[in-house]
Amino acid sequence: MQRLTKLISLAALLVAPSLATAAEVNVVSWGGAYTESQKLGYGDPYQEMSGVQVNWLDYQGNLDSIKSQVESGTITYDIIDVFAKDTITGCDEGYFVEFDFDNDFPPAPDGTPASQDFFAPMPSKCAVGNILYSWNYAYHTDNINFPGTYPSTIGDFFDPDKYPGKRSIYGSAMSNLEIALMADGVPSSEVYDYMLDNGIDRALDKLTELCTHPKGGCITWSAGAQPPEQLVSGEVIMATGWNGRHFNAIQKEGSPLKMVWDGQLLDYEYFALVNGGPNQEEAMKALQYFTSTEGLAGSAKHIAYAPFRISSLDVITAAEPWYYSEESGPLEIMPHMPTAPVNTENYLLLDPIFWADNETEINDQWDAWKSNTL
Amino acid sequence: MTNGEIRTSDGELLSVKLKKVESRKRTGALILVLPLLLFIIITYIFPIIQMLQRSVDNTQMNDLLNNTYQVIQNWDGSDFPPEEVVKTFYNDLKYLSENKLHGKIAVRLNYEKGGFSSLIKKTVRKLDSFDTNGNYLQQFKEIHKRWADQEYWLALKRATVPYHGRKYLASFDFKQDFDGSIVRIEEKKRINVTLWLRTIYVALGVTLCCLILAYPIAHLLSVLPTRYSNLLMICVLLPFWTSLLVRTSSWMVLLQTQGVLNDFLVFLGIVADENRLELMYNMTGTFIAMTQILLPFMVLPLYSVMKTISPSLMRAATSMGATPFHAFRKIYFPLTYAGISAGSILVFVLAIGYYITPALVGGAKGTLISNRIAYHMQSTLDWSYATAMATILLVGVLVVYYVYNRVVGIDNMRLG
Repeated sequence: MQRLTKLISLAALLVAPSLATAAEVNVVSWGGAYTESQKLGYGDPYQEMSGVQVNWLDYQGNLDSIKSQVESGTITYDIIDVFAKDTITGCDEGYFVEFDFDNDFPPAPDGTPASQDFFAPMPSKCAVGNILYSWNYAYHTDNINFPGTYPSTIGDFFDPDKYPGKRSIYGSAMSNLEIALMADGVPSSEVYDYMLDNGIDRALDKLTELCTHPKGGCITWSAGAQPPEQLVSGEVIMATGWNGRHFNAIQKEGSPLKMVWDGQLLDYEYFALVNGGPNQEEAMKALQYFTSTEGLAGSAKHIAYAPFRISSLDVITAAEPWYYSEESGPLEIMPHMPTAPVNTENYLLLDPIFWADNETEINDQWDAWKSNTL
Repeated sequence: MTNGEIRTSDGELLSVKLKKVESRKRTGALILVLPLLLFIIITYIFPIIQMLQRSVDNTQMNDLLNNTYQVIQNWDGSDFPPEEVVKTFYNDLKYLSENKLHGKIAVRLNYEKGGFSSLIKKTVRKLDSFDTNGNYLQQFKEIHKRWADQEYWLALKRATVPYHGRKYLASFDFKQDFDGSIVRIEEKKRINVTLWLRTIYVALGVTLCCLILAYPIAHLLSVLPTRYSNLLMICVLLPFWTSLLVRTSSWMVLLQTQGVLNDFLVFLGIVADENRLELMYNMTGTFIAMTQILLPFMVLPLYSVMKTISPSLMRAATSMGATPFHAFRKIYFPLTYAGISAGSILVFVLAIGYYITPALVGGAKGTLISNRIAYHMQSTLDWSYATAMATILLVGVLVVYYVYNRVVGIDNMRLG
């Protein structure tokens, strides 16, 4: 069996060089407006600067494609944009390269070493921070089902009596359990302590109440582009989602959506460098630029995700209005960031270690719940 | 002509010569099918063998923690493992962390019991400050309170055996308790049995729907004059040639609450605007889309059988006084049994492993076991769990095939 695998990889090796022409780097990310912001923010500038072609590929999370690439010995990804919990698993499995952080990544313009310039310590040695984004919910302001007042709290999402209509929630347990507990009155600082202590059952009860309510009901989404689409088509009246996607629908497509920041889940997003990728050296150089002060600030020109570097925020603040799209014109981006003071009155920081530890078990229960309730 | 033997013109015995010619022909035929044979072995047989192996194979964990495995098997699982076991585990862990391999066991132990992922990493960080003179268990417990939970040590014992059938148990919502007895898992985590039953239910339901819809179409196809039947045949085959994904997504356009079908019903005044029908993200959607997609697999075998039924048989029956219904029930219908069974087994076998359609239009209530397999392949990365379920599915299909072959005979399967 091993000989056969060797033979196949040998064949692949013989074919591979004839395919690779110029230097290139394959970056895998979440697609849609987000990938667009990455491409315009640092992908294209880097390509112009270095002459290295940056190819953007889409995926919907999970490490399965990396795993199968590693097992078959033909790795095609170089850089991958991943959840924190996946940097932990990917690092443990040896799929990703471990960084020597301050040596591998450039300091801030004022000389602050990279490790100090990033907002938070990395969840694993294989992760380099990219953005801070939010899981919040949005609604369609034209929706006829709303009475005079618009939803303003996380509790309103779970109140079909007040706001009748279907909701769209994320397809996995992550994010749903947290917001359900917050809506049920658990203070955000206690959510994770409470989670393993009957918290999961309580969160699922809260969701059951919403999803089986005659005036409520739930559907799920899996791709980031779905929640705004479902809101615009009228399929649902409220949807949780990633704030940049809602923002994009509002600014670039002119959709009358509005976000509610109460009870938002703040989360970090990371890049990882694939171990044994086809262009590992070039990829490392590209990654250094992507996550530099300039690179990270660049992507915020196109989407409302906060750059992971403190120095990037300084760059943006000094040059407001920083955001620009043809449809919206120049726009001050800082008030739209998930980290803006007005948006962080009641928030929770997502705990990746909790999810790396418990995801498998929680998702068993979650899937059983889902197939019996939804 | 001395002893009655027949010889060919070159003096060889005819029987020998014939055998030679036969064997040359056989070799020729074998060479012709050899590419296909190799193709099947490489792309089909070989992966299936690997799949079977993966579902029970735990040798990687066993290799990484081999010393621990040797001693922990002697621990009966009561109370906490003896000091010797903990010490061996400490040494294994130390070796693994020095070689940066501890991450691999963290991931795999976490399949066994949630919380292991961070537990191993926290423990590894403190290995250097261990007092190696003794009292290992106590020191583990001081590092993290989870080590004071017996469950974690039991999980460690379970997770180090080289081969196991636990994933097969888990596929039916069972687990092995610490004393070796097999028990059902907590009720709120049971999902697989529901999905197996739902999969069988959907596969049977879709087969039935296909049969009811395909029977008249196939009959029409077989009796119409050629130029009309050809047109109708194209109508049957056209969707068959269209990409599965395209067809499923068009069903999504049609079935949405704001979709074409609902709009039309609202326009006709059959349903009220605020009470639009839920046709998607539930079982209804799965049924409708799968039935349409699998319909040709029922039409074609039925048609091929009906085509051979002579129309004079029905005429003969009616001329002898049978009502049309009676003639159909007694003469025509029994003659189509072969087509019905061939179509049914094709549709059933395809439906039982269906993946894309339930994933797209099924929602949570319409997901099938194949979606669960995909979930373990993609999300948890627990491939041995996924392969165990896939193996069960494969065995199920083989059983259906075996029964079919015994009852009807596979030679009766024709597609046109």
